[in-house]
Amino acid sequence: MAIVVNLDVMMAKRKISLNELSAMVDLTLSNLSILKTGKAKAIRFSTLEAICKALDCQPGDLLEYTD
Amino acid sequence: MISKNNNFIFKALSIVAWIIFVGLCIEAGGLIVNFIFSILKPEMVHNLYQKMDLSELYNRSQWAFYGMYSFVLVISILKAILFYIVIRLISKLDLEKPFNNYVSEQITQISYFTFSIGLLSYIARETAKNLQQHGYEIDQLNQFWIDSQAFILMAAVIYVIAVIFKKGIEIQSENELTI
Repeated sequence: MAIVVNLDVMMAKRKISLNELSAMVDLTLSNLSILKTGKAKAIRFSTLEAICKALDCQPGDLLEYTD
Repeated sequence: MISKNNNFIFKALSIVAWIIFVGLCIEAGGLIVNFIFSILKPEMVHNLYQKMDLSELYNRSQWAFYGMYSFVLVISILKAILFYIVIRLISKLDLEKPFNNYVSEQITQISYFTFSIGLLSYIARETAKNLQQHGYEIDQLNQFWIDSQAFILMAAVIYVIAVIFKKGIEIQSENELTI
């Protein structure tokens, strides 16, 4: 897919583990893992908002378009 | 939440499907045995499955006999296979999570088999009509292809259901992968 999710990069920058993020954004580990590995087909605005809030970043930091 | 009523209906359907499947297997088996006998012992042609007497047809034209008998044979085998698929589908169908690829494939297969039966029955019926116009007496065979139009209609309905099911699976998988 042309859209790449850079969640792992942002998590590394903020030094937050998947477990911690899961607790902060109220998402299951499996769902976060789907998002991190790029298997997700869509992301809700509410989820994006929660992740941005937890990682203190912009949606553009998490999502990237590549050719 | 699946009601007890649905479970009961599915169990009843499963039993009915098994009974019909066994009946169709017996019919197909009987016809196959008759077919082999008609090749090896042509004098048995006057007393075929369900006391069918096709000796007149056999004596007039062996081609016509084997042609019409092949139609009967293939249609009964296809019907038995169709009910086998129905049984497989009913036994593996999980009413809590019905949308999966297996169920979709089975429904598609059912529609293909139903259409094949309908089409073959229709061709056989038209061929039988043609033969009857030439003076052949094959009224006894009509019972095997009397419901050709019903099968074609059913195939169309089942195919539409299969397509909707496929779309349902796509929507479900997209929904599951929306975080």
